[in-house]
Amino acid sequence: MSAYLNTRVSLYAGRLWLDEDFDALLRVSDAELEDMLGERGLAQLAAGFGDPEQSRPLNDPLSLEQRIIAQTLDETRVLIRPLNGVARGFLIYWTARFEVTNVKTLLRGKMTGERPATLLSRLTPMGSFGRLDNHELAHAEDVGELLRRLEAGPYAGIVRQARRAFEQSHDPFNLDAALDRAYYEGLVQRAKSLEGCAGAGFRNLMGTLIDRINLVWLLRYRFNYNLPPAQVYFLLVGSHYSLTGARLRELAALGGLESVLAELPQEWRSRLAPAHDIPGVFAIMERIGAESARNELRSSSPAISRAFAYLILRERDLRSVRAVLRGRHLGLSGADIRLALHRTPLEVM
Amino acid sequence: MFRAEPLVKIQLLMLATEAPDAALQLARFGVFNPGELNSGSGVLAALPEVFPESPAEHYREAWLEAESRLSKLLQQCGDAQPLVIPDDAAAPSLSDLQELNGWLKEVWSACLACHEGEERILDEKKHLDALEETLSKLERLNVDLAHLLRSDSLLGVNIGSLPANGLKRVSEALSMTSTLVNQFDHVGDQIFAVIAGPRMHQTEVHGLLAQAGWRELAVPEELRTHPLEARAWLEAERERLGELSGAECRVMSNLREQFGPRLNEARMRVALARPLAEAALLGVRGKGGLAVLAGWVPRRQLDALRKGLEQRFHGRYWLDVKEVAAHEASKAPSLVRYPAWLTPFVPLVKSYGVPRYGEFDPALPFALTYLLLFGAMFGDIGHGGVIVLLSLLFAGKLGRMAWVGAAAGTVSMLFGVLYGSIFGYEDVLQPVWLSPLHNPVHVLSVAVAFGVGFIVFTLLVNARNKWVAGHVAEALFDSTGLAGLVFYLGAVGGLASAAGAADISAPAWMLAIFGILVVAGFKWFEAKAGLGERILVTAIETLETGINLFSNTLSFMRVAAFSLNHVALALAIFTLASGLSVAGHWFTIALGNVVIIVLEGGIVAIQALRLMYYEGFSRFFSGDGVEFAPLRLEAQSVKD
Repeated sequence: MSAYLNTRVSLYAGRLWLDEDFDALLRVSDAELEDMLGERGLAQLAAGFGDPEQSRPLNDPLSLEQRIIAQTLDETRVLIRPLNGVARGFLIYWTARFEVTNVKTLLRGKMTGERPATLLSRLTPMGSFGRLDNHELAHAEDVGELLRRLEAGPYAGIVRQARRAFEQSHDPFNLDAALDRAYYEGLVQRAKSLEGCAGAGFRNLMGTLIDRINLVWLLRYRFNYNLPPAQVYFLLVGSHYSLTGARLRELAALGGLESVLAELPQEWRSRLAPAHDIPGVFAIMERIGAESARNELRSSSPAISRAFAYLILRERDLRSVRAVLRGRHLGLSGADIRLALHRTPLEVM
Repeated sequence: MFRAEPLVKIQLLMLATEAPDAALQLARFGVFNPGELNSGSGVLAALPEVFPESPAEHYREAWLEAESRLSKLLQQCGDAQPLVIPDDAAAPSLSDLQELNGWLKEVWSACLACHEGEERILDEKKHLDALEETLSKLERLNVDLAHLLRSDSLLGVNIGSLPANGLKRVSEALSMTSTLVNQFDHVGDQIFAVIAGPRMHQTEVHGLLAQAGWRELAVPEELRTHPLEARAWLEAERERLGELSGAECRVMSNLREQFGPRLNEARMRVALARPLAEAALLGVRGKGGLAVLAGWVPRRQLDALRKGLEQRFHGRYWLDVKEVAAHEASKAPSLVRYPAWLTPFVPLVKSYGVPRYGEFDPALPFALTYLLLFGAMFGDIGHGGVIVLLSLLFAGKLGRMAWVGAAAGTVSMLFGVLYGSIFGYEDVLQPVWLSPLHNPVHVLSVAVAFGVGFIVFTLLVNARNKWVAGHVAEALFDSTGLAGLVFYLGAVGGLASAAGAADISAPAWMLAIFGILVVAGFKWFEAKAGLGERILVTAIETLETGINLFSNTLSFMRVAAFSLNHVALALAIFTLASGLSVAGHWFTIALGNVVIIVLEGGIVAIQALRLMYYEGFSRFFSGDGVEFAPLRLEAQSVKD
């Protein structure tokens, strides 16, 4: 089974994009774009191009974002086929973040009194990965009813604390932050039970991911939202990677971006030297994560670790493709789009 | 019976205001399956462009909301009685439906408020329980609460609960503000704690605690005094909550009385609105005051449909009828009518998948082959007879599946006659054909020969299905088409010659090589990928063709193996019984036969199903067809 998965991952790896491929994507005409995307297995993202009259094909009601997620889910479905047990559970949980995003959309929609039909059209179809009854949830009368229904479902663990936090403060930020934190803590827990058999490379991948999330959240909460250190620390993901709890407490207590960067491990300090703001830190950390995933993909690590590395890289590519397609739609110049590719950080959730 | 009933695509143009009634009429008609709108003929040519609006979208949205609220209401407040819909009842208009939805929202909000009130009281009761437990613990702590909770103290103190799994994190975070957490109780997944630290950090602490799901234990003034007085206060609170709960119950009963009768009427109106709301899912198009409903109906019932529409709308409609085009066949639903005796087997076919429109329907060959395989693997007059008797005895509980059991039992009895086997005894009756125990090689050869015939049949059916669907290349050159069949027949001939059963070795292998080369060429042509992946796909899929056909054929050896297994099990029981006294002997024989019927009978039933699904259906039956799902009313219509 691992031979099959390794072969499948190697074949998929051929579809990943190099920096020069994005340059080519910027240059090609609308008519050639579909072929170019098709060669990388992304024909469904090209819908709407080649026909200037049509921004979205009639038979495809999904937005570009939804189509990107559908593509990611399709490929994950192929990769998990030969897996079982903890490894399978881990990759399935990795897709659950899209459904957590749906939960957030539902909650925000209920807060603003959005109509169920509009709300439903904004949710990402999860296909066989879907565990929520979106129809029933969208028809909940208010946030309270929605949270109670969610708490009786598969995401009870993630939603329970978020509900209590929301009941106390009625602040949507508290709700979002609690959901994100609970999701990633679930991911760390699942990864922990896999780290023994999936090798050091897998641990490194997870470490880079969680450390990046923690560092960027810490900077945002502390210096953008001006939350006090203790609250910032509480909102971060509990982890056992490079940025441990003790290190995060120290960092959260510091007074500025520069001092936080100066207290990071030596290796990170030198890499993050060019960053002067939070998006800059994100972009560099994200590049470090991509490098680590690329190394993992080229290595002879266990198949699950290579599959995870591929999914991280593929999603990064897909979001860059989205940036290019959006830029072209908006008629932005190639230089602006290039800037976006190098500076706009990937959204974590 | 072998293929779906011929359908026609209809597009019904009518006044938008009459769309709900038109959908209701089609639902009453009973055989209208809604579908997407496409280009029509004559005046309805280029329909999607002419009718760009979706006039039923708001209707569907209002219906979905109303239906959701109604079902929640019925669950909470009302008791559902059988719904009776008069034949002449009309569907509600959009404004009626919106008004109904508004009323349902009002009722549900009242009901929800009641429900939430009850939940709140329940929560408060739990809180009171926790408070009581806390009080008993605080009493043991011997702390002067009044002193501890002084608002002018330099020490900021909070007493309350938080989820147990968050304690470590909260303690770590609070340590950054020089605040201590002291847990003094644990109830369920909640821990109760005293949190104390410098008062100057209180704002920060409160922000964090709000994030952590902290619930402040509002220690009332009453609790800050003598324990006896605190207990009296708790009792008074309990009484107050009891009264409140009674009041909520009364409100709920009033609501039931007040809204009950109209809720029943609302159910009927929601049911009458369902047809258009469901049809809208697939697209009711329109423009201005016109709407178009599209879908499929059986060709032979077209006249009845026209008659019904004429009676209801008196010419205020336009019906466009079109034959199902080849490119639409994959979207067209399959409506297959089966004779009553075959119907019980249909769920077994449908559990694999639904045949596509125009595809060969496998229900009849499935039924015949399934029974044949079951009988061949479980041939015994006695055991078959018991299955027949049990099926008839439990016909009420088993429903239509009893007929499958009775038929399988009868075929089992027939094979019992052929094998000369009754309750495992092989020497009581003379076999009409052969005894599997004494002719194992013969039985194995017959099973494999049957398998070859079955696989040839499935390949032919698949080639026919592909041809009909317009996939001519697949029908001719694919591994499950004629090229695969040529390879298979050649390989079978070659192997039979090697085994000495025939003398056609050279031409047979040539045929096989020709067949597999055609398949490989087709796979190469079909693989749309880079060179590496193309080579890999062609090599693996061609190899898979050979391996699959070979292993599928050998799979049929299990038919013979199970018929031998049946005899072997019986022999084992007889051997056990022979060493016992008369009573023990017959007890063992009886118990052994029960084990054979239950255990082996169950295994054989599953194996026969497996053979049908994986060696048969998977070869020619894509199972991705669309089942004919007509618009229907929620309940049976009755004469007013």
